[in-house]
Amino acid sequence: MKEKTLDTISWKWWLKNLFTNKNSLYTIIAIIVTLIIIGVLNKTLDNYQIRILNLCAIYIILALSMNLINGFVGLFSLGHAGFMAVGAYTCALLTMSPEVKQMNFFLKPMVPWLANVQVSFPTGVLMAGIMAALAGAIIGAPVLRLKDDYLAIATLGFAEIIRIVFTNLQSITNGALGLKGLPNTVNVWWTWGIAIATIIFMILLIHGSYGKAFKAIREDEIAAEAMGIGLFKHKMMAFIIGSFFAGIGGALLGHLMGTIDPLMFRFLLTFNIVLIVVFGGIGSITGNVIAAVIVTIMMEVLRVLDGRMDFGFIEIQGIPGLRMVVFSIMLMAVILFWQRGLMGTKEFSWAWLKRVSRRMVFRTKDC
Amino acid sequence: MSLTIFMQQLVNAASLGSLYALLAIGYTMVYGILRLINFAHGDVFMLSTYFAFYAMTSFLLPWYISFAIAIILTILFGTVLERGAYRPLRNSPRISIMISAIAASFLIQNLAVVFFGGIPKAFPSVPIFSKIIQISGVSSSSISVIIPIVTILVLFILGYIINQTKMGMAMRAVSKDYEAARLMGINVNTVISFTFGIGSALAAIGGVMWGLKYPQLIPLMGLMPGLKCFIAAVVGGIGNIKGAVIGGFILGFGEIMIVAVSVYMPYDLSGYRDAFAFVLLIAILLLKPDGIMGKSSVEKV
Amino acid sequence: MAILRTDNITMKFGGLTAVSNLKINLEENQIVGLIGPNGAGKTTAFNMITGVYLPTEGKVFYKDMDITRKKPHEITQFGIARTFQNIRLFKELTVLDNVFVANHLRLKSNWVSSVIKTPRYITKEKEMHIKSLELLEKVGLIHVKDEDSYSLPYGMQRRLEIARALATDPKVLLLDEPAAGMNPQESQDLMGFIARIRDDFNLTILMIEHHMQVVMGVCEKIYVLDYGITIAEGNPFEIQNNQKVIEAYLGVD
Repeated sequence: MKEKTLDTISWKWWLKNLFTNKNSLYTIIAIIVTLIIIGVLNKTLDNYQIRILNLCAIYIILALSMNLINGFVGLFSLGHAGFMAVGAYTCALLTMSPEVKQMNFFLKPMVPWLANVQVSFPTGVLMAGIMAALAGAIIGAPVLRLKDDYLAIATLGFAEIIRIVFTNLQSITNGALGLKGLPNTVNVWWTWGIAIATIIFMILLIHGSYGKAFKAIREDEIAAEAMGIGLFKHKMMAFIIGSFFAGIGGALLGHLMGTIDPLMFRFLLTFNIVLIVVFGGIGSITGNVIAAVIVTIMMEVLRVLDGRMDFGFIEIQGIPGLRMVVFSIMLMAVILFWQRGLMGTKEFSWAWLKRVSRRMVFRTKDC
Repeated sequence: MSLTIFMQQLVNAASLGSLYALLAIGYTMVYGILRLINFAHGDVFMLSTYFAFYAMTSFLLPWYISFAIAIILTILFGTVLERGAYRPLRNSPRISIMISAIAASFLIQNLAVVFFGGIPKAFPSVPIFSKIIQISGVSSSSISVIIPIVTILVLFILGYIINQTKMGMAMRAVSKDYEAARLMGINVNTVISFTFGIGSALAAIGGVMWGLKYPQLIPLMGLMPGLKCFIAAVVGGIGNIKGAVIGGFILGFGEIMIVAVSVYMPYDLSGYRDAFAFVLLIAILLLKPDGIMGKSSVEKV
Repeated sequence: MAILRTDNITMKFGGLTAVSNLKINLEENQIVGLIGPNGAGKTTAFNMITGVYLPTEGKVFYKDMDITRKKPHEITQFGIARTFQNIRLFKELTVLDNVFVANHLRLKSNWVSSVIKTPRYITKEKEMHIKSLELLEKVGLIHVKDEDSYSLPYGMQRRLEIARALATDPKVLLLDEPAAGMNPQESQDLMGFIARIRDDFNLTILMIEHHMQVVMGVCEKIYVLDYGITIAEGNPFEIQNNQKVIEAYLGVD
């Protein structure tokens, strides 16, 4: 861009810049290519594989939402499953038809003000995010004054409380029975559309002034405060935004599964996301995206360990639980030997790609 | 609530509180020295009950030998855990150590599923622990009375070790100032191993008694008591052994009373029993973050 | 009118009194030194002024406004910035971003406009960017702007801390041992540098320092603390000849 006087930046310039700026142009092209690939996969893969494709996108959303809180602001929060539960239940209860609700609530009738509500899926997803964000605000206000382990254990505690409350609120959540027959509206366009929107949102947020303020808090709270960055305000902001996306992820997950119950939202679910974030690099958006895809696919591949394995000549009886053993060992190995994960806090970017490719070109010339 | 029922619940509360206290001490000691939440402590506790179970059912050993073996194996396991999962990360950021602890916890749970199976197992009943005792109308199983007595005994021994022995002195020194203790020639690694050993021993004693009182074993049985006992340690003031005992009893008493009182309530509260610990945690963190017995600390700038 | 004034501030940690009845008076554009042996309570005094600690007793005034109970980030927003004795840079951020993020407090846009990059926000971001570059130019760090801050040599890290504090647009700057770990030549340069930024940015400076050469060379007024008690105050000449100060530094038998 030629020297442009500062006060002439307008929305028109903004729009023009979006399509003339090389980096944003590359990004738009990359998004289109990704969407084409998704479309092709959607046509060629079988139902089970498409389900995994959906799961990848959902885990990208979840990993990025945790990464914002844990990776960028450096708050060790373990409450993700709770926010996901809020999102999943909100969306399910709002989108299920009155008939399906009536079938579900056979032990105890549903509260009347919810029984006849039905909204469209997009509205439901949006409400899921908003309710989770609200839960984040209510929980964050008291616990974000805590640090490190205390924060971790308090957020974990709140997630458990949410789960216990949902188990006991029979007339709203159907208690331990859970909800069955969630509308089957989730497809790759929904999941990947939201995942890509989440990725772009996070990148823009992190590269902006607020993102840098988040990182400053992560690096040194006391110095950040001395630079005029209000700790509580910024922590709350990240916590609420993270909860919002966790709620959306939870809603999508619920609709993909078709059934939800409180047991689904145990600490184990949070642990899955922690694995992705650690594996991808705590504080790297691109690292997390890659890790979400790898880990999701691997978890499905490892399912063979739990089932029966048939090698033609020999048949091994599957051992239930072995998958999770391998999974835990993986996380231990990453944290013991490869602490910074795939990407550390670094990012994959167009500038980086340019540097690397240029270096490779030079190297081939030298040869 | 009649007095008899109240007394009966009080006995239950005392025994549950004792079990929580034994487990909470393990958390508080490790935290006091390493500033680490040993997430796997609850799973070490779970293992001890399985050790005792297999010694009694597969090897048909008498209960006292089985319990001794269980305690010894658990101690070994606890020290090995520290070496494998925590020692390599001693100088890493706290977030890494904590993730390692969570991973270790899940690894143990899932190994237990693989080796012991996911189906609940019944802890064998030992006649002298399952007798019904009646004192002036209050009836209770003998184990409910034995648990608090054993716990008090164990606490006295623990008090002796910490206050009177050389190792105890070293432990106190390391928890006051890790670096200074190291520079004074204290072998910090030995002290830490010893701490994990004691913590595991207490967890194992609690574990076998837990098995006798609540005789259903599942691989995930350590998860909830583990979390709750860490909370008990925080409530009492982390790093403080007396605090852990107090926290354990508050928790045990509160939980039993929620269930007991719930009978008389218009709305059944017993489902919220497990939430009590977490509500208590959040209340204490907001009101007195250093716990009941804790001292406040100032961050150095 | 004093720009910064402490009214008998006292800080007790349990039974220990780290600072007692400290009275500091900063006139506009002064450079004032706060000296004393190790453990005299100098950094504690800084922490009370900047809101990190709440004084057990006494009050802190900035331009006659009581800021005693304000939070550290509010105090910085009023116009009091500081550096730290044990350098506290944002390690994984680049040199430029360290300075950039210190502009954040003057950003008037909300986070939504930072995500959708509204024209107004971009304008503001550009201003912050240019200002950060100018500051790095002034402290001589422009050539390392893209390095990670932890990779800088010690002396540069100190200068970066000062640049970062300046980016918050302060009226009063508190420097906690800016010359620590510097050789005599570097300290000499630092003296000139401090005097220069005072003039360039129209600052009032309060600094803790051990290097007597620096303090005596640049400060117009000096406070001497010993075991939390103010044992002397005055101009460099008076301090150098004060019997109590000599005793505190050399010790008496």
